Amino acid sequence: MVSTAKQHRTPLARARGLGAAHHGVSHFIIERATSVALVPLCLWAVWAGLKLAPVGYEGAQSFFASPVNAVLAILLVLIAARHMSVGMRVVIEDYIDDTAMRIALLLLNTGVAGLFAALAVFSILKVALPGLAAH
Amino acid sequence: MVQLTLPKNSKVVRGKHHPAPEGAKTVKTFKIYRYDPEGEAQPRWDTYDVDVAACGPMVLDVLLHIKNTMDPTLALRRSCREGVCGSCAMNIGGRNTLACTHGHEDYGNSVTVAPLPSQPVLKDLIPDLNLFFAQYASIEPWLQTDTPEPQREWEQDPKDRVKLDGLYECILCACCTTSCPSYWWNGDKYLGPATLLQAYRWLADSRDEAKGSRLDALEDPFKLYRCHTIMNCAQVCPKGLNPAKAIAQIKAMLVERVV
Repeated sequence: MVSTAKQHRTPLARARGLGAAHHGVSHFIIERATSVALVPLCLWAVWAGLKLAPVGYEGAQSFFASPVNAVLAILLVLIAARHMSVGMRVVIEDYIDDTAMRIALLLLNTGVAGLFAALAVFSILKVALPGLAAH
Repeated sequence: MVQLTLPKNSKVVRGKHHPAPEGAKTVKTFKIYRYDPEGEAQPRWDTYDVDVAACGPMVLDVLLHIKNTMDPTLALRRSCREGVCGSCAMNIGGRNTLACTHGHEDYGNSVTVAPLPSQPVLKDLIPDLNLFFAQYASIEPWLQTDTPEPQREWEQDPKDRVKLDGLYECILCACCTTSCPSYWWNGDKYLGPATLLQAYRWLADSRDEAKGSRLDALEDPFKLYRCHTIMNCAQVCPKGLNPAKAIAQIKAMLVERVV
């Protein structure tokens, strides 16, 4: 931290900064809500993984043909991606001081999470709906 | 980007050794941080072999004994000597606390004494707490009401008064705030545990009429949400308070407002 003795801004001006952003509670709720949702979804994912391990690609097709399994898998990857991006966002905000670098990394974070989610959803749909891939 | 090199004055060199006076009975070594930012010299660790039999039981007694009899150039803040004013907060044996309420008996034969971490040093054990107190001022720590003042006092139910216990005792010594890693990284934007505990002290006050604007001023990714429940604040508080719990209660109030 820079010594205040050499600054002409008053301490109160520094403390107030740009004021409050009036947002943050939605991120706080999303962090917790996605954590709670991931508990049953991850347990289901372990169960699904054990079930899918011996059955091969055709077994997986019939597993994901069930709407329940396909929808749970899609929820899992969407919620996990959101959870990952809000968590990573906090880490970037904590440690990256330079504004330009912070913005770049926050965009990259959102992009990577979005790409991960889109790829995963497409892959699940491709297995679940074999007709989709034929075209 | 992440800073990989530290400023020049971050390196603390070995300083002077002050031997115990002749005929000393019980000698204990105190390793004390010395720095004058106005000079050219690096910060240094001076060591003092103190005859603890000749001074009082607290670390502050030892420091004043050093200043009075061994080295008058040592600079430190102190006032009440009984844990009420918070002036003598410093890092003793690697832990932020008040020098006046901790006996040197609690530490081994060699005790390290440094200023509160992460703040600019004015001299030796005296940190610059201007930003800390400005952050406290920024939460407007006074009763705010629009209702015309009553003829007598603002009344408060005893069960509402109890809600201020564990909050009003804070003496603003800055032990908690300067022990918080999140405050070390983002101290210019994060308000820190002491200020947030005080903010909750007014949010929890049944007589205050400004809860909405107080919460508005706190809802911010940095001012409030940099608290990651690391809990150093609750561990070091010399008054045994729990700022992390107060911060959690502010977060709960913000959730309550939207659900």
